[in-house]
Amino acid sequence: MEFYYGLAQIVGVHTLLGLSAYIVLLTGQVTMAQAAFFGIGAYVAGMLTVLAGWHIVPALGASAVMGSATACAVGFPALRVKGLMLVVATLAFGEGVRLFFFNFDYQIARGDLKLGPVGSEGFRQIRYFPEHGWTTGEVMLFIWVFVVLVMAVLWWFDRSRYGSVLRAVGEDELAAQSVGINLTAVKVSAMTIGGAIAGLGGGIFAHYTTHIEHSNFNVLVATFAIAYPIVGGLSNVFGTLAAVIFVQAFLIEGLRDLGDWRNLLFGALIVLAMNLRPHGLFGKRRGSSHA
Amino acid sequence: MLDFLQAVSDGMLFGATYALIGIGFTLVFGVMHKLNLSYAAASIGAAYSGLLILKVFAAAPAWAVFLSAFVGGGVIGYLVYLTCFHFIPLSNPLAPLMSTVGMFLLIDEVIVHATNGMPQNYPAMFDDVMIRAGGYTLRGDLLLVFGLSVLCMIGLLALLYRTKLGLATRAVSQQPVAAQLCGIRVARVNAMTFVVTGLVGGIAGAMMGAAVGALSPVLTAPLTVKGLIVTVIGGLGSIPGAIIAGLLVGGLENVFQLYRGVTERDLYVMLLLFVFLVFRPGGIFTAKSGRD
Repeated sequence: MEFYYGLAQIVGVHTLLGLSAYIVLLTGQVTMAQAAFFGIGAYVAGMLTVLAGWHIVPALGASAVMGSATACAVGFPALRVKGLMLVVATLAFGEGVRLFFFNFDYQIARGDLKLGPVGSEGFRQIRYFPEHGWTTGEVMLFIWVFVVLVMAVLWWFDRSRYGSVLRAVGEDELAAQSVGINLTAVKVSAMTIGGAIAGLGGGIFAHYTTHIEHSNFNVLVATFAIAYPIVGGLSNVFGTLAAVIFVQAFLIEGLRDLGDWRNLLFGALIVLAMNLRPHGLFGKRRGSSHA
Repeated sequence: MLDFLQAVSDGMLFGATYALIGIGFTLVFGVMHKLNLSYAAASIGAAYSGLLILKVFAAAPAWAVFLSAFVGGGVIGYLVYLTCFHFIPLSNPLAPLMSTVGMFLLIDEVIVHATNGMPQNYPAMFDDVMIRAGGYTLRGDLLLVFGLSVLCMIGLLALLYRTKLGLATRAVSQQPVAAQLCGIRVARVNAMTFVVTGLVGGIAGAMMGAAVGALSPVLTAPLTVKGLIVTVIGGLGSIPGAIIAGLLVGGLENVFQLYRGVTERDLYVMLLLFVFLVFRPGGIFTAKSGRD
């Protein structure tokens, strides 16, 4: 049972990561910076609970705020450039943040133990859950409360005016602009919300793994973040959840017996999926969105 | 001061490989308006495929390895086109991006699988030649890297501006519909673009292996980022821009390494990109606003 609880924790955190990219992708922008916001959230939440002794819920709140603030700050200059340039700009930003954590030392002596992040070795002993006696099942429930909450909010967005505005910008920028939608405001707000979700996910991630380091937030993670919604399809939030379960539970855990052939299969399956279902595994076929 | 000059010249010679990778990204972008994120991985993969010849003829000289990397690059380029672009509708912006990401992961894993993740030694030429002038040295192998890269660029420009295929390529990049109406087979031009960029990537990968002395799959992600930075700084779709930006990034990177150490080096390269994004978002050579 512990194993399945653990798997559910991984699926939960990756769903948050995927959803953070989902809302940005709705506006037609591809962001490779989600791993950076995820990492910022992880370090902020970890430092707050370990070094400052905060309770986990406000610490997660703080990591979401930090994630959204950075995303907003990145959004303004990065969204001056369009489409594919944004991919590059956010990719470089993500690598920049990772390299920052690679060089980031901040340690405090606590008893005979030195705590805090040390550059390439990473940040050990984020032991909030074990110290407070949470069982794996409780941690899983805690994580899924946040996942369900975020999914509900995004589901509601999709049904509100704001969701239609997001999709309008994603479908056709020119048309959206001509009916009076402020493109920059919409894109930056989507980035900001995405940053908050990624920061929250990162904060949770730091606490269930108990050890984070710069390589947890590399390009591969950023790729996973956009892969989930794209593979799952952008029709609704459940596509992302389904893609996370498909990738994490089926491809990574289910095919564990295949050894390192599994990794080969992973890339090949993404290529195959995109050839067969260009609009995502669960996405509905739309007309051509970009002329 | 001498250290500084030395760092700049070494970096610029090595930067020629960045310029080649940048050209590959820029060409595909110019012709298809798509980003081929698997390109740097494919280039490293091509350099690995050059090593295959050593399996057949253990005593094959370095130039034979480079040549087979060149050919391997072309083949891989065509395969990438077939698997990631040919069957996916061009109107869909996300699917080909994602399929090239899948290809990137696949190539990475094939390399890891084939070599058990161990770095492979790569042959170099003229690595015992040193040209000295006072305290200043020019490494022979780096000069070869630079020279071959320049040859590659000249060949590419000749192909683009002196041949029928080049004319067709430029036509498709300007106006795909009009080009098609003139009887140009767009799909074939797209495929050829991938073969040509693949050939260039093969050389770039081999030169990188020769300059570093070894190849490892860890190179692919940083090379992708560097190549994209070069592309953006040079101006998307501009070949001269990519060349200048490649040399610039190579030179500056080495200077940052000299003063701030190897772990912080790339951080400053990213900052350089953001300086460009804020003050000159179109890059050094802003491409004329084409289609769309």
